[in-house]
Amino acid sequence: MSTLAASAAQRTIRRGLVITGLGLAAMAGVYVLALCFTPIERFQGLPQKIFYVHVPAAWSALLAFSLVGIASALYLWLRDPRLDWFAESCAEAGLVFSLVMLTTGPLWGKPIWGTYWTWDARLTFTLLLFFLFLGYRALRGAMHDPGDRARYSAVVGIMGLVLVPFVHLTVYLFNTLHPKPIVLKPDSPSLPWEMLRTLLVSLAGFTVLLFGYVTTHYGLARRAQEQGEEGGHGD
Amino acid sequence: MAIDPNANAGFMIAAYVVTAVILLGYGASLWFRSRKPPSRG
Repeated sequence: MSTLAASAAQRTIRRGLVITGLGLAAMAGVYVLALCFTPIERFQGLPQKIFYVHVPAAWSALLAFSLVGIASALYLWLRDPRLDWFAESCAEAGLVFSLVMLTTGPLWGKPIWGTYWTWDARLTFTLLLFFLFLGYRALRGAMHDPGDRARYSAVVGIMGLVLVPFVHLTVYLFNTLHPKPIVLKPDSPSLPWEMLRTLLVSLAGFTVLLFGYVTTHYGLARRAQEQGEEGGHGD
Repeated sequence: MAIDPNANAGFMIAAYVVTAVILLGYGASLWFRSRKPPSRG
């Protein structure tokens, strides 16, 4: 391993940790903003405030999984290992945000719908996407040849990308309990300004956190690869 | 019909706590991994 390459990986890790720290600080700000400075919704009461973590987590997860698919397609075309490391980093971050989405969703659903879970299209396809990327992780862990690992996992990553727009459109294609988007829709957002402001700040904070996670993990993957380790990044 | 705004506060608290634990936990795991060079074993 060259010292130059090692220091480049270390710099990427340090940069990623700084961005992650900024993202976590932004999240602390979002908590204060959501809990102390955002009005309580009249019909749902306090559980509606779950919206400010659930929706940005869903946004970050779907963005991360889309980036996995794009990087995977580019990897199959260009065969640049950096695209494979990037895809893997996005997949892991996407799983973290999916976990937030899949735990906060039922906690919002119980007081509002009367049930933690229902097998409607949006929830079921979201769970399917989560399992697909768990499979992606398992596949990477099971394959020792870096070339094969990158190639096969790229195919799974592209399958995930195909599923992402479908997850978004399920609320239009099927009758579901899950509400339709109130921001990402053809009309203007149907939210009072105080609520929209908190949502936008939270979306920005979650996005910074996503890029912090991805940058740090990318640096770790790069360092592991440069040290000649196959099959894992010290985790 | 409007409901008691403080009803079901536990669900909101649980969601915010779970989110903080997951996000901080993953951030901490990345930090620990960055401190420990990967073994060759």
